[in-house]
Amino acid sequence: MTEPGAHGFYTARASTNQRRFYIWLIGAMLAYLGATAAVRFKSSVPAGLAWSLVVLAWLLAIQTIRSYLAFLRGADELLRKIEIEALGLGFGVGAFFSMLYPLLRELGAPDVGQLGSAVVMMFAAAIGSWLGRRRYCGVGSR
Amino acid sequence: MKNRLRVLRAERDWSQADLAVRLGVSRQTVNAIETGRYDPSLPLAFGLARVFGAAIEEIFQPEP
Repeated sequence: MTEPGAHGFYTARASTNQRRFYIWLIGAMLAYLGATAAVRFKSSVPAGLAWSLVVLAWLLAIQTIRSYLAFLRGADELLRKIEIEALGLGFGVGAFFSMLYPLLRELGAPDVGQLGSAVVMMFAAAIGSWLGRRRYCGVGSR
Repeated sequence: MKNRLRVLRAERDWSQADLAVRLGVSRQTVNAIETGRYDPSLPLAFGLARVFGAAIEEIFQPEP
């Protein structure tokens, strides 16, 4: 069981862990942007700097995943269930999208870039989280 | 699964938030259990029994 907090879906512990996750996520996204820029302009960036930025992006990505797992483990059982169902939906939609969208592209659909599947996966997980809250606690639950 | 959570809570004049704090879960978890949308895990069911000083089967009954 978790520490008390008892407002909405989040105990105090879950709120703290989610805030930590968002901080790591923002850091990882910024590092990704920096690493992408360094790789894209690698001819004018020292190789050591490019390597460092890419390694930093990896390290922050790993820490972001660890902080999300800490959030899941610290969440109360209903929130954990909702989040895991949302991850399942996100993974399923993302996996099938990555397999099936190339076929649509062959038929003339626009190219969504290398991040397309990841964006679809995250969007589907967010929808899954909303659906879970609706399913277990009714429309408009917060 | 039917349950008597709302009645037991009302007898003690506890809000959902009060009960949630006693159990260490969120208020929405109490709400979801109370409205029958979510069946709690065994540890949480034992927690409810402890908080209300009742046996689990006095709180939860299977639907016919």
